[in-house]
Amino acid sequence: MSRVLIIGYGNPLRSDDGVGWRAAEELENRLSDRGVEIITCHQLTPELADKVSGSTAVFFVDSQREGVPGAVTCSRVAPQALPGPFSHQLSPGAVLGLAQELYGRTPAAFTFSVCGERFEIGETLSQRVTENLPNLVAQMAAMACAPGNDLPTKQEA
Amino acid sequence: MSEKRTIVIDPVTRIEGHAKITLHLDEQGEVSDARFHVTQFRGFEKLCEGRPFTEMPSLMARICGICPVSHLIASAKACDALLAVRIPPTADKLRRIFNMAQIVQSHALSVFHLSSPDLLLGMDADPAKSNLWGVFERDPRLARDGIRLRQFGQQIIERLGGKRIHPAWVVPGGVSEPLSQPDRDAILGAIPEALAIAVRTLAWFKKTSEAFREEIGSFGNFPSLFMGMVKEDGSITFYDGKIRIGDATGILVADRLDATRYYNYLGEKVESWSYLKSAYYKPRGCPDGMYRVGPLARLNVVDRCGTERADQELAEFKELQRAAVLSSFHYHQARLIEILYCVERLEQLLNDPEILSKHVRAEAKPNALEGIGASEAPRGTLFHHYKIDEQGLVRWANLIIATGQNNLAMNRSVLQVAKHFVHHDRMTPGMLNRVEAVIRAYDPCLSCSTHALGQMALRIQLLTADGQVVDEIAR
Repeated sequence: MSRVLIIGYGNPLRSDDGVGWRAAEELENRLSDRGVEIITCHQLTPELADKVSGSTAVFFVDSQREGVPGAVTCSRVAPQALPGPFSHQLSPGAVLGLAQELYGRTPAAFTFSVCGERFEIGETLSQRVTENLPNLVAQMAAMACAPGNDLPTKQEA
Repeated sequence: MSEKRTIVIDPVTRIEGHAKITLHLDEQGEVSDARFHVTQFRGFEKLCEGRPFTEMPSLMARICGICPVSHLIASAKACDALLAVRIPPTADKLRRIFNMAQIVQSHALSVFHLSSPDLLLGMDADPAKSNLWGVFERDPRLARDGIRLRQFGQQIIERLGGKRIHPAWVVPGGVSEPLSQPDRDAILGAIPEALAIAVRTLAWFKKTSEAFREEIGSFGNFPSLFMGMVKEDGSITFYDGKIRIGDATGILVADRLDATRYYNYLGEKVESWSYLKSAYYKPRGCPDGMYRVGPLARLNVVDRCGTERADQELAEFKELQRAAVLSSFHYHQARLIEILYCVERLEQLLNDPEILSKHVRAEAKPNALEGIGASEAPRGTLFHHYKIDEQGLVRWANLIIATGQNNLAMNRSVLQVAKHFVHHDRMTPGMLNRVEAVIRAYDPCLSCSTHALGQMALRIQLLTADGQVVDEIAR
């Protein structure tokens, strides 16, 4: 049975860094009855490898600093070799690599990175990120419900 | 060698928070003194002044991202005292479940994520491999077990509190929501796997530890007092009980002490070189009143756990050394026994017919201007002490954290390990790793104890007495 996992991560107390959480909350409202599992966390940790390995597709949604504020970049993620000595936070590729290493399974995975404008202390998103949030959510919802969860290798939204 | 030198390990790796260690060498190049410095500062006792007391559990949970539940519990108990209420029996049991879930996930973090690289790969392993990923490569099943056990605890916290980190479910007077039957059943369904992991990890650890006889003999292996909370019948408790203090010979120095009168028997000392306060047993003064808390201390002072498998393990544990178990290396084994106990006890509590009761909160306005809450956190006994004004605003707060209570013992342990393993003329990473490893045995939480997270690099410098760097290792 197909199971999509959406992981929204970042710091929701740091303005646009919380866009992953906001997107995840919106998707929860839309997809709660579609067999899509949605979780939020501050950073990616080794424990996620277990959940990731049991999914058929995983979407990571986070903010980034470089680029035009509000722009969304979608990329396919490949498993990475085990990272350096620190395990406080992992990249999406490292989580996939761990899933492969420990559980022998790696799902199709994509990152959705939203370029933020403000990262100061605050619980609201900047105007540009707020304006683009519905597009991001719609795109992710469509992909989560599509058979195969296919996506070009890289695209700008 | 004709001059005094200092070795600095900064920061200490694979611990929760920021610290450094300095080793002072004498003219002959041998270790003469050692200090464990906590270099981060939080100041929660000050910043909560002026806040409504009802905010305290949520505010104090922010002290730590690893053990927020411990602060929620102690803080809520202090607030219960301000309300002067007795919380409903089901709320009491749910808080116990919450606290034990926290113990399991925090202990699993310590054993599997932070210390297993030392235990599995050895103290002299290549520093580039001596980390969690090295464990994943060497023993994937151990790694998977660590992940599952941590998830087990975290998911109980999430089911009860709504989220894994900083849940606000524990409130003054009880808890905010009852436990649902689906959540209860889901947790019970996960118990067999958690139990199996706890049992096989203990078996693995006991076999593995045979290779660490030298470390067992020198990792904080000295007489001290031990303190922990016990039930009326002398069995282990993490939520509520009387304070018991035992000595190195196994004799009880004090028993049935009221935790809410901690200031009568516990003192705190401030050192200029660390933000971490040092606690001591007042009747013996400082440093003779040095005591240890946490898993090793708790198992030293309790008569029994009260569950079948944990009691079998406890009996074996108490045979490790004559009288009290002194070596801090044995904190690891004690931690695993506590995990086992918690899983067994969780099953008992979740099968209690009262556990799904909807009566989980006592409502009241403040009825006292001073309240103290105490509980057992993963790292040891935790005290929250608040004074409020007539408007219910906090005017004064004092927190006594487990890591501070272990501070004197940690410093002495570092000195013992350094004297045994570190020599200026053949300094190696493995030697210095042992100095860090003894700190890891205590599983200090420095975010808690200085009331930060960041990069955990290791830098060791060899300095002359006038501060000149003569040697440096970095990784």
